[in-house]
Amino acid sequence: MTTYLIRRTLLLLPTLFGITLLTFLLIRLAPGNAALLKGGGGENGGRAMTAEVREQTIKLYGLDKDPLSAYVDWIGKVFRLDLGESIVDHRAVATKIGERLPLTISLAGSALILSYLIAIPLGIIAAIKRGQVVDRSISFVVFVLYSIPSFAAALVLILLVAGGDYLNLLPMYGASSINASEMGLFAWVWDRVLHLVLPVICLTYASLSYISRYARVSMLEALGQDFVRTARAKGLPERLVILRHALRNALIPVITVFALELPVLISGAVIIEQIFSLPGMGQLMFQALEARDGPVIMGITTLAAIITLMGYFIADILYVLVDPRISYQ
Amino acid sequence: MNSAPVLHETYGQRLWRHFCADSFARCSLGIVIALFVIAALAPFLANSHAIVRVADGHVTFPIFLSLEPIEWRFLLYVLLAALIYFSRRKFRTQPQRSLGVVFVYIVLVELWLGFSHPFNDPTNDRDRPASFKLLPPVAYSPIETTPDQFVPPTWKHPCGTDSTGRDIAARMLHGARISLSIGFVSQSISLLVGITLGGLAGYYRGWLDIGVSRFVEIIECFPSLLLILVVINFTGSQNNMFCIMAVIGLTSWTGVTRLVRGEFLRLSGQPFTLAAQAVGASDFRVIVRHLLPNALGPILVVATFGVASAILIESSLSFLGFGMQAPTPSWGDILSESRRYIDFAWWLAFFPGLAMLVTIMSYNFVGEGLRDAVDPRLRVK
Repeated sequence: MTTYLIRRTLLLLPTLFGITLLTFLLIRLAPGNAALLKGGGGENGGRAMTAEVREQTIKLYGLDKDPLSAYVDWIGKVFRLDLGESIVDHRAVATKIGERLPLTISLAGSALILSYLIAIPLGIIAAIKRGQVVDRSISFVVFVLYSIPSFAAALVLILLVAGGDYLNLLPMYGASSINASEMGLFAWVWDRVLHLVLPVICLTYASLSYISRYARVSMLEALGQDFVRTARAKGLPERLVILRHALRNALIPVITVFALELPVLISGAVIIEQIFSLPGMGQLMFQALEARDGPVIMGITTLAAIITLMGYFIADILYVLVDPRISYQ
Repeated sequence: MNSAPVLHETYGQRLWRHFCADSFARCSLGIVIALFVIAALAPFLANSHAIVRVADGHVTFPIFLSLEPIEWRFLLYVLLAALIYFSRRKFRTQPQRSLGVVFVYIVLVELWLGFSHPFNDPTNDRDRPASFKLLPPVAYSPIETTPDQFVPPTWKHPCGTDSTGRDIAARMLHGARISLSIGFVSQSISLLVGITLGGLAGYYRGWLDIGVSRFVEIIECFPSLLLILVVINFTGSQNNMFCIMAVIGLTSWTGVTRLVRGEFLRLSGQPFTLAAQAVGASDFRVIVRHLLPNALGPILVVATFGVASAILIESSLSFLGFGMQAPTPSWGDILSESRRYIDFAWWLAFFPGLAMLVTIMSYNFVGEGLRDAVDPRLRVK
């Protein structure tokens, strides 16, 4: 087991290296980088720079170095958790991301937990009632949900329940109300929850449908196993057969899909934050893209990739820990 | 439900039989084909010019004069594909002659398009008097602005109009071509990359395999939308359809690669591969003639889901302002505009959203049906 852990951890290194190299190459060698040299950035960088200022800027961001040594520089800093400075406001990238991260994490995290809580019972019911009307209708609804683009759903939900001509139950955008700073703790939390209801719903339903389909297949597989037949043969009530014997085995692969859902949720959060004007990592990413703020974009992309990588890592370890049948050679 | 298995049934026929047994999949395939027809005929379904116009004793076909070269190309190549399909028997009996005809057709089309100029006629035929005129079902062009702003759906504007009075139905019909062509072209690119890399890794194994697998792992760590946004932003390829196709294709090949690699690893140990190698077939021949056809079923399944996700990504990009932008009609762009007027103009969000849902769902259902047909073990019955 220890050997497996060590080997799996060592395997992270080349991938980590690849992630940083790819991010660096994308941003450093892309033709659009010339815009960075011309001024504060992209479209709004109309102001002309004096040669002196340009020199200084180039030096400041290490753009005068050859790509290789610039990469070595950057990666050295990354390992010291120093992601550099933003080009726009000269604040540390790590701080900027740090301010935004909690919101995105709470958004993606609650969506993930919620989708598991709903998806697993759905998957179990569909598997037990295999081929019957219940199974068919669950599968159909889940499939339709899976195909709805999250931004379209978000717009329709805003139209129906947040402002618009119909119901006005929930706030339309933002992470908290304007007068949030005057609220007491409880009121503040409640306000935040109300603001996050719609974004979380929009993020949840797609993962929910993916996970529940996965849970159904996994449960069907478990129900066909010999130990389930044994459990039934020794006269256990069906409820116990399903909950104690089949479910526990079916859950193993289902739990590990969370790693696959992580990049999907991060991508989804980027869109959802944009629609609901939530000050999360996605919104920061857009601001950075608009200003061609290289260090911030590099920081966010690397961080997102590392989060996913860690997800895969944890899933692999969990798999081996939970299921003794798998040999970890 | 299934008819009795037929002897001497080819793989394709068996797939088709299993596929047709699933009614959802069958209907969805119908919708996908209908979308294709709509995309091919979009200029004839929504155009401000009349299809036939009779005035002062002259019979004219104004619609043909208004077509852009790209619209001609689309139309003529769809026609070519249909011709090839209906004369496929000729291709088997006289392959060289048929290929020659196809070649001449392509050369003629390109030559003609190269020398002809589109006749840009800003007037519309709706109000122009004529003794007889046959207008398209939606008599507005997708980029034509009218004084009627924010008209809710009526008979005149079946899906309403937007802030500059453009007809949403016309924009949606033309947007279907953007969605479909981006879906197909980008998926072809990702298939090309995926099959090549996955095939090499699965067939030659060793260091090549390790390298490709690591690379796939690295790419898969990046949330796809972030990666695409960064590439599009830094290569400045907003609003350039071919760049967007390329970027989506070049970032979505990992699934195909893993699948092809797995299939090739499995197949390359099997007796028929060994037999082909034993009689001295070259590696290329073994890969293309023996391994690839056997992996085609699962590849088709992945490709179908891939088209659905490429369409979704394209509309997300347009929605976020990184894809095709107005005046080019794109479903994502209409939705994006609707955000500003969401309080009252529900039709701006509803129709493009519905179109996306139906399209993506049909592709997913077709993919699901194909998967069940390819892998009989998964079939529920």
